[in-house]
Amino acid sequence: MSLIKTRNLTKTFRRFEKAPGLAGSVKSLFKRVYTEKTAVDGFDLTAEEGEFIGLIGPNGAGKTTLIKMLTGIIAPTSGEVNVLGYYPNKLENAFKKQYAVVMGQKSQLIFDLTCADTFLLYKEMYEIPNDVYKRNLELFVDLFDARGYLNTQARTLSLGERMKMELVTALLHNPRVLFLDEPTIGLDAPAQRHIRAFLKEMNLRHGTTILLTSHNMEDVRSLCPRSVLVGSGKKVYDGPTDKLFDAYQTSKKVTAQFEDATDFRLPENCPVLEQNAHKTVFTVPKALCGAVLHQIMRDYPQCDLFVEEEDIGVIVERIYAGREANP
Amino acid sequence: MKRNVRFVLLLMKLKLSRMMMFRVSFFGAFIADGTMFIIQLLAFEAIYSQVDAIGGWNRGQMIIFVGTFAVVNALNMLIYFFGVNDIPEKIKRGDLDGYITKPVSPLLRVTFENVNPGSVPLLIFSAGIVCYGVSAAGINISFMTGLLYVLLVLLMTLLWYDMELILRSIPFLVLSANGIVQLEEQLIEMNFKIPGILYKGGFKVVFYFILPYGIMSTTPTQMLSGLLTASGFLHAVVITAFFTAFAIGFWRYGLRHYKSTGS
Repeated sequence: MSLIKTRNLTKTFRRFEKAPGLAGSVKSLFKRVYTEKTAVDGFDLTAEEGEFIGLIGPNGAGKTTLIKMLTGIIAPTSGEVNVLGYYPNKLENAFKKQYAVVMGQKSQLIFDLTCADTFLLYKEMYEIPNDVYKRNLELFVDLFDARGYLNTQARTLSLGERMKMELVTALLHNPRVLFLDEPTIGLDAPAQRHIRAFLKEMNLRHGTTILLTSHNMEDVRSLCPRSVLVGSGKKVYDGPTDKLFDAYQTSKKVTAQFEDATDFRLPENCPVLEQNAHKTVFTVPKALCGAVLHQIMRDYPQCDLFVEEEDIGVIVERIYAGREANP
Repeated sequence: MKRNVRFVLLLMKLKLSRMMMFRVSFFGAFIADGTMFIIQLLAFEAIYSQVDAIGGWNRGQMIIFVGTFAVVNALNMLIYFFGVNDIPEKIKRGDLDGYITKPVSPLLRVTFENVNPGSVPLLIFSAGIVCYGVSAAGINISFMTGLLYVLLVLLMTLLWYDMELILRSIPFLVLSANGIVQLEEQLIEMNFKIPGILYKGGFKVVFYFILPYGIMSTTPTQMLSGLLTASGFLHAVVITAFFTAFAIGFWRYGLRHYKSTGS
């Protein structure tokens, strides 16, 4: 049986709108104008035990709203949702004990206290037996090499250290499903790698089912065999991650930066996204990437080069365009 | 039940630990609450030192009234005020996400996570005023009367909690309820100074049944003074039970309509 199953899941928000300025505010006192926004639209999703799924999509696509419905934080407007055999918004404790959610931009640590104090609170909330608590804490602290942070006030931790502690907090009770919303947001490359390695270990060794939303394509590529792409609240793609990137991520985004003003000549077949005397951003077809970078380094040895994955929004547009061309 | 008690005790321990992380704030809380109490006492003196009786109550009974209000207020500040008072902000900022997803009652956690030991001296001083009022009024109190008085004080503390919870859960349904919370503060201020026995007609209906701040100190004072009738006692019990059920129901209704925030 699937651990997560949704059918035609929809969430519509009613939003208050007003004209700008004082006049608009006064008018809104007497006549309220509301608009409806469908954040998640007829979404079908299933996830099996032990899967590691990447939930990707541009800002405002509906990923977080979907996670919030799956965890019971908000109620769906319509459709069916079943997680671990429960209707999430019924908010049963038996359900809540079986999952964990980590939101990169919302902390669950008690900032004024040490991480060890937060862990004690979670031990009590989840009624974690002493032996399980000690075993898990030891394991996670070792995996993260985080013994030094245990007795440190949470507010004094760096962003990377804090995220590691967030994950330890979330996993202490051995959840069957872990919902992760942007866990690597704002982290430097070493911290991102550390967290990825930890998540991979949890998925492989403990069989934890993980649903990961991230803008960081490297997170998704390196962790999730399966990806679900969301655009405007709808499911745009659901299948192997490799296939998604091979088929639709046809270019790389390259940024060339110069300390001194430089007349940079764009390589052929590379559409420009942004250009000034010190910086040029352009896309390069994947197949030409190596040759183009080699050429730039040869012609502009003083240049700083940054290569990134294409923006996820571009991939969504490309999939839509492909569907329109081949309906 | 046992688990909830254990959880509440842990929350209290954590709150104490949090306060002790900041030494100035820890000791400052006692100073701030003590100062507030002295201001209240001066206000009382300014109003009531010039009159011998109000609405049939003598000066001693008025002192019991003010002392009882201060006791209920101190219990409110000590146990739940700083937790419940934060509910509107938690709704607005989407911070309830972290409460809803944990396997303990979000209401239990919100209520008890910000106990304020700084209000202990306020509670002791307020109880002292009640004792002084009893002495000034020349009342002899039996053990049973004392016990029923304590019971009524606890009931009225619960009723105060209910009112705070209801008003602070309104933001689940509307954008902001700041105005209503400000109105509540004014009503409490007013009822701190005016005994409920002075209310007549429509005012009595409002302050005894709809916004029952009028009975919060009046009923326990009547109990201690031997003036409380059986129907008055029953009214206090029924109104507290009603508002408790309504507050919990309203909170649950709000939680079902919680919208969180955008990512």
